[in-house]
This record gives sequence, C-alpha cells and structure tokens, in this order.
Amino acid sequence: MPIINEFAYVKPATVAQALKWLARYKKPAILAGGTDLLNSLKDGSIKPDAVIDIKGLDTLHKISFAGKRLYVGALVTFSELIEAEAVRRLFPVLAETARTIGSPGIRNRATMVGNICSAVPCLDSGPLLLAYDAVVTTVGRGGKREIPIVKWFRGPKKTSLKSGEIVSGVIIPLPEGKHAGCFIKLGRYAGEDLAQASVLAMALEGNRFRVAFGSVAPVPFRAKGIEKLLNGKQLDARLFAEAKKLVAAAIAPITDLRATKEYRAHMCRVMLERSLKAALGRLAGGGPAYGERLL
Amino acid sequence: MADYKFIGQPVLRVDGEAKISGAAQFVDDLEFGPNLLYAAIVESTRAHARIDGIDTAKAAAVPGVVKIVSGRDFPFKFGLYMHDRFVFAQDRVRFVGEQVAAVIAREPAAALRAAGLVKVRYSDLPLVLNTEDALRSGAPLIHPGLGEYEHVPWFFPRAGTNIAHFRKIRKGDVDKGFAEADLVFAETYTVPRYAHCAIEPHGAIGLFDHAGRLTVWTASQSPFTQRHLFSEALAPLGLSHHNVRVITPFVGGGFGGKAGVSMEILAAALATSVKGCPVKILWSRAQEFYNTYQRQGVKATVKLGVKKDGTITALEETLHWDAGAYVEYGANVVNAAGLSATGPYRIANVKIDSVCVYTNLPPGGPYRGFGYSEFIFGLESHMNEAAKKLGIDAVAFRRKNAIRPGDTLAYGAAMNPSGLVECIDRVAAEIEWDKKSKSVDPDKAIGKGFALFWKAPAMPPNAASTVFLKFNEDGSLNILASAMEIGQGYQTVMAQIAAEILTVPPAKIRVETPDTDRNPYEWQTVASHITWGCGKAVERAAIDAREQIFDLIVRALGKEREALYLEAEQVKSRREPGWALPLKDFVIAGIVQPDGTYRGGPIVGRGMFMPEFASASSDPETGQGGHPNVHYTVGASGAIIEIDKQTGKIKVLKAVLAVDVGKALNPDLLKGQVTGGFLQGLATVLYEDMRFDDKGRLLNANFSDYKIPTAMDIPQEVVPIFIETPQPDGPFGARGMGEHTMIPAAPIIANAVEDALGVRITSMPISAEKIIEALSGNRQ
Amino acid sequence: MNQRIEFVLNSEKRSVEPRANQTLLEMLRDTLGVKSPKCGCDRGDCGSCTVMIDGRAVRSCLVLAVEVDGHEVKTLEGLMPGGKFSALQKSFLAHNSFQCGFCTPGVIVAVSELLEKNPHPDRNEIKEALSGNLCRCTGYTPIIEAVVAHAGREE
Repeated sequence: MPIINEFAYVKPATVAQALKWLARYKKPAILAGGTDLLNSLKDGSIKPDAVIDIKGLDTLHKISFAGKRLYVGALVTFSELIEAEAVRRLFPVLAETARTIGSPGIRNRATMVGNICSAVPCLDSGPLLLAYDAVVTTVGRGGKREIPIVKWFRGPKKTSLKSGEIVSGVIIPLPEGKHAGCFIKLGRYAGEDLAQASVLAMALEGNRFRVAFGSVAPVPFRAKGIEKLLNGKQLDARLFAEAKKLVAAAIAPITDLRATKEYRAHMCRVMLERSLKAALGRLAGGGPAYGERLL
Repeated sequence: MADYKFIGQPVLRVDGEAKISGAAQFVDDLEFGPNLLYAAIVESTRAHARIDGIDTAKAAAVPGVVKIVSGRDFPFKFGLYMHDRFVFAQDRVRFVGEQVAAVIAREPAAALRAAGLVKVRYSDLPLVLNTEDALRSGAPLIHPGLGEYEHVPWFFPRAGTNIAHFRKIRKGDVDKGFAEADLVFAETYTVPRYAHCAIEPHGAIGLFDHAGRLTVWTASQSPFTQRHLFSEALAPLGLSHHNVRVITPFVGGGFGGKAGVSMEILAAALATSVKGCPVKILWSRAQEFYNTYQRQGVKATVKLGVKKDGTITALEETLHWDAGAYVEYGANVVNAAGLSATGPYRIANVKIDSVCVYTNLPPGGPYRGFGYSEFIFGLESHMNEAAKKLGIDAVAFRRKNAIRPGDTLAYGAAMNPSGLVECIDRVAAEIEWDKKSKSVDPDKAIGKGFALFWKAPAMPPNAASTVFLKFNEDGSLNILASAMEIGQGYQTVMAQIAAEILTVPPAKIRVETPDTDRNPYEWQTVASHITWGCGKAVERAAIDAREQIFDLIVRALGKEREALYLEAEQVKSRREPGWALPLKDFVIAGIVQPDGTYRGGPIVGRGMFMPEFASASSDPETGQGGHPNVHYTVGASGAIIEIDKQTGKIKVLKAVLAVDVGKALNPDLLKGQVTGGFLQGLATVLYEDMRFDDKGRLLNANFSDYKIPTAMDIPQEVVPIFIETPQPDGPFGARGMGEHTMIPAAPIIANAVEDALGVRITSMPISAEKIIEALSGNRQ
Repeated sequence: MNQRIEFVLNSEKRSVEPRANQTLLEMLRDTLGVKSPKCGCDRGDCGSCTVMIDGRAVRSCLVLAVEVDGHEVKTLEGLMPGGKFSALQKSFLAHNSFQCGFCTPGVIVAVSELLEKNPHPDRNEIKEALSGNLCRCTGYTPIIEAVVAHAGREE
C-alpha cells in the first residue's frame, strides 16, 4: 500500500528550526521512530502537509541520569532504553516494560515519547510512567513546559500537547529508598500483541506501594484506592483478596475484538496479585527475574 | 526393505541456496519494465446489495489513470467446480470486499487514489450472515439463479434455496444402529472461519500482447487450473487455451489459499483491456484476509450410538457449512468432508448430511485439511465423550473402533493398506498415556489429549500429473513438472525419486517452477497428492528414460539388455564387470559407431499418472457406488498440556503425531510438515479466528488482531513418528501427508482441556478467555 | 516532492532521489531493484521487510526512504561476505530452516543483528529476537535449531 497523500519532508537541525517549521505548516506531523506514523500515513488517517523529522535534533537523543532523575530524550528508542546502563541498574522495570513492546525490529525504531504521544488506551509506557510520577517536558515558541504524567493523558489519543509544541523528553524520578517494580501485560499469546490489560506494581521500602493499570480505561491510571489500602501494611492473603475486590471499581474495561470486559477484569485481579508479589520478591532481592513471563 | 541411496535419506533441499540467499524470485520480484501498469480494485462496502450505478467521472480525472472497468466490461462467470462467480460483480454484490470495478493507472498511488473516488450506488438487500438464517424457509436468496449454474455432476445444488450442494452418505441402517446401542448421545460443535495467512500476499501480472496472447504471472498452487479457468472465462473474447500462458515463480506459502483462482482472474481480465501493457495487481494484507478464500465455518451435530463394550453402532452427522457468497471451490470442501466425516473408524451404520450453504460472507474455499480439520474437532471431541460416558479408556476405545485395511468405507469402497493401530500404540507410548500427570503448582492443571485423523486427497477422479525429464550434456538433469514448490520441498523429493532410478544425485537435478507453455500438465498442487501423484509421474519418467538408455545401449553396442543396470551415473552390465559407460558420454550426443555415424540422441523421459480406478459417480441419495477417494493417509496424535487455572492460558508441553506415510521419502522434510502444520493447527484452536460484525464486515483483517503464532508461541516439544505401510500405487510406496499434521490439533487440545479441568468446550477457538468463562460457569 | 539523499547500501555509496512519501522498502525494491526484503503486510507486523540501518534491524516498510540519508543500510545481500554464503546461511541450509522462503531474508537479517550483539544467545533470546518475524511454514523450530547450532550451543 503506497502512501497516497503527498507531503513535504523536512529535517530540522535545531529545535528552533523545528519550531519554526512546525508553525509554518498547516498540518505538520512529527516523525521520530515512525512506527505509528507510517501506518497512519498509509491508511490515510492523517494527511499532513509536512512531515518534520526530528531525528536531527541531537539534544533530544539523550538518555542520562543525574540528580536522581532519569532523563529520556524524545529520540531514545526502546532498544536504547533496554541497553542503557542506568536503566539496567536503577530502573530494571523500565527495561522489563520496554521488552514487551512490539519486537526488536520495532523497538529499534520506536521511542517512548512517541508511545506516549500516541496516547492510545493500550499504550504500554503509561502505567510505568504513572507509577514513577514521571514528568513530560515540552518545548514550544512560548517556552518550555513540564507536565506531570498524570495530567498528560486526556483521553484516547488525546494529550496535553499544544499545537506548535514538541515533546523533548520524559523525566523519571528515582523514588526515595529502595524500590522494585513488575510490569505484566496481557496478550492473546506470548508473541507481540497489543495489551488487553496491563498492570505495573511497584513496591517501595517501608511497605509503600504504587499500582497503575493500562488498557482498562480510556487512559492509563494510578489505582489510588488500592494503593491506600496496601500502604503501610504487610501483604498477606487477606489483603490480596481485599485489594482484588477494589479492582472492579478502579477499572472501566470494555468488550472489544481483543477481549471481553469480564476477562479483562478477571485478569486485572490475577495480574495485580502476581505483579505485587513479584515486586515484593524483587525488593527483597529475590522474586522472578526481570523479563520472566508471569502469565 | 530395499537399500536406497537417495530415498529416505537426508538430502539438501534443491531450492535451498536460492531461498537462503534471497535469490528465489516471487511474483512481486519479477520486473516488467517501464510500461507496467498497476490496478486498484473498487470493493463492495455492502454485504448484500443491488448495484444501482457506478460513477467514475472523478476517478477518471486523476492524473495517470489509464482505464476504469467494471462488471459490464466483463460479464463472464468462472469457477472450478461450480460457475457461480463473476469476474466483477454484475447486478448485485454478495459480500463486503467483492470486486465491483478496477482502476488501472501508471502508478500504484494514482490507481489507489482514483479507486477511492469511484462512487458506487447501492440498494441494500436483506443480509444472511449465518447458516441458520440461510436455511430458514423464506430466507433471502443469495443466488436466485442457482438452478441454472453449471457445475460438476457430483454436486447437488437445490434451486430456490441457499443450498449450493448437499452431500448425502447413507450406509447400513442408522435407526437400527441406534436401537442396538446402549448409549446414544448428541452434541453440536462449532468452528469459525480461519485465514491461511501465507506471508506472501496474492499477486498477479497479466499481459495481453498485440499478437493476442495472454500471459499471466501468478503466485499460484494451480497454474494449469488457472490457465483453464482463464481460458474458459475469457473465451468470449476469443481466447483459447493455446494462447493463454501461466507462469508461476516461487510461491511464498499457499496452504490452499493459492489453489484454484481467486484474485488472479482480475489480472487476466484487466490485461485484455490494456493491450500491450503488463498490468500488476497485488493484494494488500487486508485484502488477503477478506477477498481470498477463507476456511469455511461449520456447525456440526454429531450423534453417536455405542454399546457398553465400546463398539460404535451408528453415527449420524449433520454438517452445515458457512460457505460464503460463492462456492465455486468451497463446495468441494463440503463434498470431501461429507464423504469422510466418519473419521478413521469402522462404523456399520452411517448417515451424513454435509450441506454447503451460501451466506453473505467472503467466499469459503480450500485450506490445508480441506474440511477434515473442521469436522474432526467435533467428531474427536465426541469420541472422547463417548469413551468417558462408557467408562472406557479413550485410547482403548479408539483402538477398538479404528478402521483397518479392507474395511468398508462409508461410501462403499474398501479401505487402503494403512497402519492406524500402530500409530495409536506409538503415540500412546510416547505421551505415556497410561500415566496420569499432576502439576506440583496448585494453580496449574496438566491434561492429556488424544485424537485420530485421516484425510484423502480431494480431487476429481481424472486429476493427472505429467512430467518430462531431460538430460543435459554433463549428465545432469532437468525435471519439468507443473507441481508447485510452495515450501513443502516437493522439488527435492522429485529429484530424489529421479535420482534413485537414474543414479544421478539430487544436487545435479534441477526442478524448475512451472510455465504452462513449457512444462507438462499438472492438475493442482493441493490435496497432499503431489508426492504420490506427481512423484509417480517422475518415477515413470525416470524409468522411461532408463529404458531408452538401455534400448540405446543394446542397439548401439549390442549388450545384453537384461544384464544392464545403472550405478553412480554410469551404465553397467552384470555380464561384464569391467565395463561402464558414463551417462554424460551419450545422453545428449548419442553413441558413435565404427563408421562415424551416431545412434541415439538427447534422452527425454516422459511420465504420466492418473488414478484410473477413481470415480465420482454414485447414488446421490446414498453416496454409494463410486470410488471418489483414491486412498487415505491415517494417523494418531496426542498432547500433554498445562493450563494455568487463574488465567486460562495453555502451554503445550509435548505434542506427538504419528502418520502412516507409506514410505518416508525424505524424513527431514516430513518432520518440517509436522512442526509447521501442527503449529498452524494449534493456532486455530488457541487464538485465531475471523470476526465479523452484523453488517458482514471483517473486523480483524490484519496481523494485529488476527494473531498467527510467533517464535515465542511454539510447543515445548513436537515429536513426529512415521509409520510405513506401503501405498501400492505410490512412488516407493509413499503417500502424502502435508495437510494431515494440521488436522488433529484442535481435538487433542479440546480433549486435553477436558482431561485437565473436566470442562468440555464445544466451540473453537479454545481461548484462555473461554476457559476462564467455562471454569467460572462450573463454579456457579 | 523528491529529495536527493546519499547513503551506503550494502557497502556501496548510493545517491537517489526518492519521493518524500516513498518508503525505504519501496525504494529498495522498486527504485534500486534489491528484492530480498519482501512486503508481507506493509504495516510492521510480519518482519519480511527487515533490513539493517546502522546495524539495527528495522522494518523497511515503516521507514521513509528519505530518512536513510547519511546512514548505512544493509539487506541480506550485504550480509554475504564476498558474495558467499555466511556461516549462518549455511546453518539455515543444513537445518531446513525455511520452507517457502518468503520470510527467510528478513529472518536472517533479524538473527544477524542478534548474533552481532550476543554471539551465544540461549533459546529464549533467539525466540525473542525472532518474535517479530512471522513464518507460517516451519513452525520456527528449525530456525531456532539453526541459530543454536550456529552459536555453538548444542544442548
């Protein structure tokens, strides 16, 4: 299927130039990894007058850890994330999440920022960034903005990005004290699939917990009610049972081609328990290895 | 057992170097130069509607558009077994995606853009989306003209209904059989539609040159059938078989989806409208799903009568096939399944109704297994239930009732030599059937499943294979045949057969892809009949060449004929141990005489095979009297699975398939058929299926939502077992098994799930979701 | 809207003028006549079009041709030293790791990237590396066997 629509292709060398072009065209599209964009161009769901390839903006192709914050630039691919030393050492659940996305050939191109810009309900980076209280950084002609991830997702395929802005990167703060996480993604099989539901559980020192869900509501979200129930407590069978009871109220799954809402809800309960147990195990220095399949 | 040099031996594939280097050419890899045009198809957006008008004005104005055509340009019908389909829709459309018009342009993008601008006006007609609705009295008729359609004599359409074909089998007396039974029970099993998902999409290029010759390059399993159907359909344009040529390079997977004719008719027809310019048409992945053949859905009601000792007394089966809008090929799936729906069992009293039903869904057609994968799910699930209800071991039950050579088949002919009981015993031993396994994890359950399978080639009684075999100057060989290398390794096996007879090693034998002008006739590469039928033709061609060689040696050198034999590419004589004449010295040049003249010349062998004993003539009311199937390949299979009771997810720990292949000509390639075919079957039971909405639109026409297995989804272990009960008329005793490895996957999983959880799931796929649903239902 | 680009294709410097809306796959196949990358789905699901850009395996159907300006592209042809079969290809041949052969070029490119990064992968790593390359014929086992054997890790 050739791309029918015609457009200009520009590749700015600086952010300023990128913003200028972004303002000049009526319907510009930003190209980073292109794994989503190319399909939209082919199926005609977007018809830009210009494609602005930001891969020339070297300042956005950075992954760095400083001041207890991991900075992931807009051009950092999932493969680069998985391979990054800081990620492996300090944020292994980030690599675990990244490894569930597409396949190596997609991860070599696709970026985490691109993933959150797509803002589809099943995006995989959502629960992770929510659990870390990440911050999205943008640049526009009006200056830079920092948007807490919780305010970033505004609905299916809707974000807080304003026209004329580019996402420059994501800041992921390292939690105080020791922490461990576990991401579980429900697919129809072991191979690459879009999430039918996903859970990210994080266990922190002092029996504190963070839980986020994906694919079971219009946007990914933190399950504050469940966190409140768990925080400060030792997790035991009774508490797991109570936490699972809160799942139904927390999520709003739908029935579609990929799964029924009943199965999604059922699996959210199973995945909540498994991810919490794995996170706790990992916090204690044991538990399943990162990347091990828990479904 | 004979001592073979090449048969049964590991041999490097003769197409291997081309395939690992990217040198192998597929249809879209061929170059046609700057005059090439591209076609895009305007497709029906309605499942059932009258076409009121087609407005092409806007489309015609798109720069680069060369021609726009529609049904009125090609009022021609085509079909393999039943002429029920037009090249383009005429007055009405019958499924979403049906071709209504086509735009031919200089560039693919221009063709696509213009196709999007063609406006078709429709008046909706009432929809029929399932067999229940289609069979209801007063149902809207999808083919009001059914009574006038041409079809093969062994089809029985019912004019004035949506029944395109009704295959009846009546053997013995089922009422009496059920009366004799201690237990009679029935259940209905449903199987949805499936897609082949060959990774290479369909594609075709047609060229109608100024001399009036039509050449079509296709990705096809059936070049000669395509030539025949193109010639037949386009005969009104003055075309005849000798000026139609079909060339097929390597095919990137077929699985039945590239058998017969589907979109290729468009390339043939469109070429005639742009004389002198090649025109290319490639299916997108989405079109691949909604406008090629789909595996038909079936609703099967199985009623079984059994005695306390396990003897089956009667079987009654009603199979309602959702055959889609056109059944030109798919009706034969229904026919084949009807003939064989007893499965590999000896049953005295049988009643089968296999009914081919039109619906407003995409056309059904051939898919690896050809109806058997579909009915075996219900039948083998039911057999397990019968054993369970009787308190008899499921394997012992099958062993007791398994068909034996010489038994009378449901349509009256005798069962061919085969080792089903040996297959059963070997599988049972391999999966340690008598040992119950238990998981140490309380959240997991282990189950074992067992199922038998069989399949006969489904083909017209006169399906034939022909082969030419040419020697080259250096004693190497070219085999000209028109079977297709679709991945199964047929070229290698043909080389092995010729090698065994002529002693020329397979590495020195080239088997090229077909060109109907240059290669002799082959019916189609379907039905798992190529090893057997085309292999027999190769064997005969090689013997023919060998006999020519011996004749020549006698004539030119005066040797004693009976003493001659071939060894290591030389002619030798048992009478003269020191004498040897290399083939390369004379197979082209001939043998020089003392006076300087030559005897002989290029050796060309010819071989043909047609099963002259086969016949499709039988009593339409009982199916008795003919010999529609040439033979069956039988087998047994088992699996050990682990189910996560919390998630419903199934892991296949071990799968075992035993097949009686007659003779394993190339065990490595057979193993390839087992690992590949079983995974394809496994996916149909675990997660694949086609989903339609209430307007007849396919919802998952892509790999994002029609999931085919990846490397991460394979069973932990697959064990192939080959039994060798020779097929008397097969080359070296071989019979085919390409489709068979897919057939039993569904029931062995269904039976293993039942074993593990005590839950009988009667509809495919058996997804994780369905297991959780069934388990929670049980708890309530 | 064409744009001149320069890039290295299989060790040879090339200069082309692709349309802005042309994919890398289309440019390789239709403009440059390099046919080993295949179009199986055209939306990044099947992996048949896998090529390497700067040593990374990517889907050439999801890359615009203009994006490779200044980069190095390798197709299966570029992974054959001196035009000869690589040891990996020979292992594929010996293990019948293909049937129809349509997915094979993409599979070999994907595996080559894995082996570049990790010369002795285990079975799970091999499966993960292959997870984006669909093969409908082989059932994958013979492909995995070829890679295991090649990596010298017979179990």
